[in-house]
Amino acid sequence: MREITYLEAVREAMSQEMRKNDDVFILGEDIGVYGGAFGVTRGMIEEFGPERIRNTPISEAAIAGGAVGAALTGMRPILELQFSDFITIAMDQIVNQAAKLRYMYGGKGSVPMVLRTPAGSGTGAAAQHSQSLEAWVAHIPGLKVVQPSTAYDAKGLLKAAIDDENPVIFYEHKLLYKTKGDVPEEQYSIPIGKADIKREGKDVTVVATSIMVHKALEAAEELEKEGIDVEVIDPRTLVPLDEETIVNSVKKTGRLIVVHEAVKRGGFGGEIASVIAESEAFDYLDSPIKRLGGLPIPIPYNPNLEKAAVPQVPDIIDAVKETVRFK
Amino acid sequence: MAIEIFMPKLSSTMEVGTLLQWFKEEGDPVEIGEPLFEIMTDKINIEVEAYEEGTLLKKYYEPDEEIPVNQVIGFIGEESEEVPSSSPGLSSDSSSDVDDSEDTREGAEENVASQPSGEVDVEQNEKVRATPAARRVARERDLQLSAVAGSGPKGRVHEKDVVHYSEENQGKKITPLAKKVAENEQVSVDNLTGTGANGKIVKDDVTDAIQSATGSANTSSPKKKKLAGMRKVIADRMQESVNTAPHVTLTSDIDMTKVKELRSQLLPTIEKQTGLRLSYTEVIAKAVGVALSRFPSVNASLINNEIIYNEEVNVGLAVAVEDGLMVPVLKKVNSKGLSTLTKEAKDIARRAREQKLQSDELKGATFTVSNLGMYAIDAFTPIINLPETAILGIGRIQDKPVVVDQTVEVRPMMAVSLSFDHRAVDGAPAAAFLTEVKRILENPFELLA
Repeated sequence: MREITYLEAVREAMSQEMRKNDDVFILGEDIGVYGGAFGVTRGMIEEFGPERIRNTPISEAAIAGGAVGAALTGMRPILELQFSDFITIAMDQIVNQAAKLRYMYGGKGSVPMVLRTPAGSGTGAAAQHSQSLEAWVAHIPGLKVVQPSTAYDAKGLLKAAIDDENPVIFYEHKLLYKTKGDVPEEQYSIPIGKADIKREGKDVTVVATSIMVHKALEAAEELEKEGIDVEVIDPRTLVPLDEETIVNSVKKTGRLIVVHEAVKRGGFGGEIASVIAESEAFDYLDSPIKRLGGLPIPIPYNPNLEKAAVPQVPDIIDAVKETVRFK
Repeated sequence: MAIEIFMPKLSSTMEVGTLLQWFKEEGDPVEIGEPLFEIMTDKINIEVEAYEEGTLLKKYYEPDEEIPVNQVIGFIGEESEEVPSSSPGLSSDSSSDVDDSEDTREGAEENVASQPSGEVDVEQNEKVRATPAARRVARERDLQLSAVAGSGPKGRVHEKDVVHYSEENQGKKITPLAKKVAENEQVSVDNLTGTGANGKIVKDDVTDAIQSATGSANTSSPKKKKLAGMRKVIADRMQESVNTAPHVTLTSDIDMTKVKELRSQLLPTIEKQTGLRLSYTEVIAKAVGVALSRFPSVNASLINNEIIYNEEVNVGLAVAVEDGLMVPVLKKVNSKGLSTLTKEAKDIARRAREQKLQSDELKGATFTVSNLGMYAIDAFTPIINLPETAILGIGRIQDKPVVVDQTVEVRPMMAVSLSFDHRAVDGAPAAAFLTEVKRILENPFELLA
């Protein structure tokens, strides 16, 4: 199969859909000739023109509000926020409008929009451009939250997000844009709400999201040398969450570690841990659940400190070893 | 309704008691006034009687456990009644056999507040620490988690521990009582055949096994006795004293000629007054009391880095009792006459041997006298009865040649040994004190002054 990058997979998903569906258009800051802050839309304005690749003023509130209005009136907008940190400015439109309107209108209107935005640290972009705020939107009923970790998942999930009748927050990761993976050329859709077992194992379940999927897989390879068999699960979508896959995995392994880049306090890992504690998998737990997440600090600019602020492969290895110590 | 049995509070300062033994087993009928269990406070052993009749439903503690006062240690009630599986904590009705109930409750509450939770009797009282998976397997296989040794941190039971245990004990069904007896007696139940329902091992199976084992193989191991009861208290107190107080022992010889004279003159008088014979012990106690009143630094107690100069002079007398030692106290020795002292000393010594002392008769000593004079012992190194500062060891009185005014004379000489706590007092004052004791005993008529 053909190998392309995560960034190319996102672009391809949009381009393929836009070629056959005139209702889909993109709006965002500098997404035209410049191609967006990370170059995701590069070349698209040449193919689709400025009507469908719309540069906007520097106002996330306006971008989001415009998208909500377009969606309500029958379009399927994709809006791009340069950095997911700026979702703060769009929050009223997302939380009080996009998430609520289908309900408030008794189902007579809907908001089929996708908010694409890159999250995460590791690029030296410092405290205001490196956060992982997915737990905020995951808390809001009415929003779906997607966090693809691979090029394949990005393409399939973005197709599903565009097709969805509800607003979907689609978190890309800055460091994943350049990662490559096998991606089919034809369009395909990955159902939102279906987790993926990235690696099967029997000793411990590691639920990891976004870039942490790759770190968990790396850790699993190291641990395999010591005879520890790690199962890595990528939920792929936080809302809806594929509880069944995680519960079944924990029932099998009896141990759970949740890893995300977002700050551990109030992070989505707490939700996953609670789901397990409340589920039938509880009776199979043979070790305390562990959460790995970012430190409760602003992401530092200094590259060494920036790395130290979020979980790294050795942290995952240590956590696994502690959890399976009594295997 | 089932009635609580709890650790009684026997004095205002008692915070914990040690359970020495149960006289009843779970399931035994109990009558009012029957001894139910025996406890030991910091110095005294007491049998506690039942004040309700019924069936002993539950025992939460085993002998040798230290239990806070008012802690529920068992239940009496109707045979079929349900009681909690672990002690519900402090008694809700602790006043019924305690005279100073208000004081008791306050004391108990303070006591509980000052105890970090979970520190009381961790092994027996705390819920079993086990993972959910271990609990599920135990449930599925109908096993008692408390019987499984956990391999995790703080003894946490993991799934594999339960599986391991269940495989080891496969097919062995055993009643909790039988199991406890087997554990206490360190008998393996692996080879026992159960006589209970479905081959369940019951207590009798275990006791039979113990009897047959001791009958056939009693040559193999020496008799063992657990450090318990008074022995344990003595062991702990002596250990503590030796570990914390730097002991220095001074010895001297005292010419007892004049004490002998004094005694033989007073003997008939005191015997007439009290019916009791004056012994050297009382004379020595009196002399020590007078000397102590002149040496406050030796009549002191070292408590929590504070030297307390005691106002009363209370002399403890070490009395050998069966399998142990008690130190009843002669109060205000310096102000009492020999006749009174004789009466009191004989009384407390007799009751110590009969183990009938009241707990306040064992308290408040500011100094101790330990007399080994009835044996062929001269000097020895007594161990201080903390928090006292010193202890005087008395050896035998023996006729010895001594030089008196440039001539050798035979005199009744008594060896004495003073151990003192060098934290509280130094060598010179301790030596001066012992010299004073010697001076008084060599001029005993001054005691009459």
